[in-house]
Amino acid sequence: MFINWALQEINLKIVYYGPGMSGKTTNLEYIHSKLDPSLTGDLVSLKTKEDRTIFFDFMQIEVGKIKGKKPKFNLYTVPGQVYYASSRKVILNGVDGIVFVADSQPHRMEANIETLLDLESNLKADGQSLESFPWAIQYNKRDLPGVESLDVLQKRLNFFNVPSFEGVAVKGDGVFSTLKSVINLVVQNVQNQL
Amino acid sequence: MVQTRKLKDGSRQVILNSTQYEGITRVLSELANKTKASAILFADMSGQLISQRGNTDNMNTTVLSALAASDFAATSEMAKLVGEEAKFKLLFHEGEKRNVYLSNVGEAFFLVVVFDVSVTLGLIRIYTKKAIEDLNGILDDDSNAPAEDEKLIDSDFSSLLGDALDDTFK
Repeated sequence: MFINWALQEINLKIVYYGPGMSGKTTNLEYIHSKLDPSLTGDLVSLKTKEDRTIFFDFMQIEVGKIKGKKPKFNLYTVPGQVYYASSRKVILNGVDGIVFVADSQPHRMEANIETLLDLESNLKADGQSLESFPWAIQYNKRDLPGVESLDVLQKRLNFFNVPSFEGVAVKGDGVFSTLKSVINLVVQNVQNQL
Repeated sequence: MVQTRKLKDGSRQVILNSTQYEGITRVLSELANKTKASAILFADMSGQLISQRGNTDNMNTTVLSALAASDFAATSEMAKLVGEEAKFKLLFHEGEKRNVYLSNVGEAFFLVVVFDVSVTLGLIRIYTKKAIEDLNGILDDDSNAPAEDEKLIDSDFSSLLGDALDDTFK
């Protein structure tokens, strides 16, 4: 969180984390397509020729003034593929809240778990932990046939019982509720500690 | 020092007071005047833009800061691979019309100077070096920090923010 008293700005950094192809960029693309252009900047995507995120996607959202303060939300995604480990670490620098986008398909369960462990070890390196950090899970791709049951997903992935949402990011289902939930967690968290 | 505190959840809060912000902006203005740079940005290593000067109307400086921070991150990995133990202190991108000069300010901040190729690099280097010294001085000095004990976020704020988000995400 970055607070600029002179401008009365409160900047939050929210990072979308998850295995490759789980729909992190799709979440941002949906948000970008639906918001009033006056409230959101460009969506910048650093992609490979195959349309895979190579470094990150980024966009900023504003919601106007609240009690004279200007909250701004900087949304980032990380590249999901295993070999981009160091760019994931870099993007977590200064993170305030995390959306974990899980892939609901049974054959991606291991990838979900592996990515959660990778997230935890990156947080640990900076003295943080999923146990106390503000984060939420989005079980994405719920519209696909043969997806894992919510019960199984919850048991295997949501071991700290954080807020969770079913999502179909391409259609926008669950996209805003997940983001709102994480922002609330971050704000509550700050409120409790000031 | 810039006020940095670690919250219980481990996340980091960086707080810049008004005196520091004004000081930073003054240094950027001076640098812009002396170098005739097209644009000057001051940001932190997480990609957060703090202040800007120059002709930035047609430039998305929020995104530029995010990209510049990742530029530093990528090159510091590069530094490790080539056996440089410290991070690279400055990065230079040369174009046909414009150049970009990036230099770190302490560990946590950096400066981006965008300038036309007609301006010599030596001039940019000299004045940027001086500006970095001034910026470090400002960031280290908290003697003028006003007692900003006003509660930044109270319960009222969170519920109003909730409403604003509902409105925005309609």
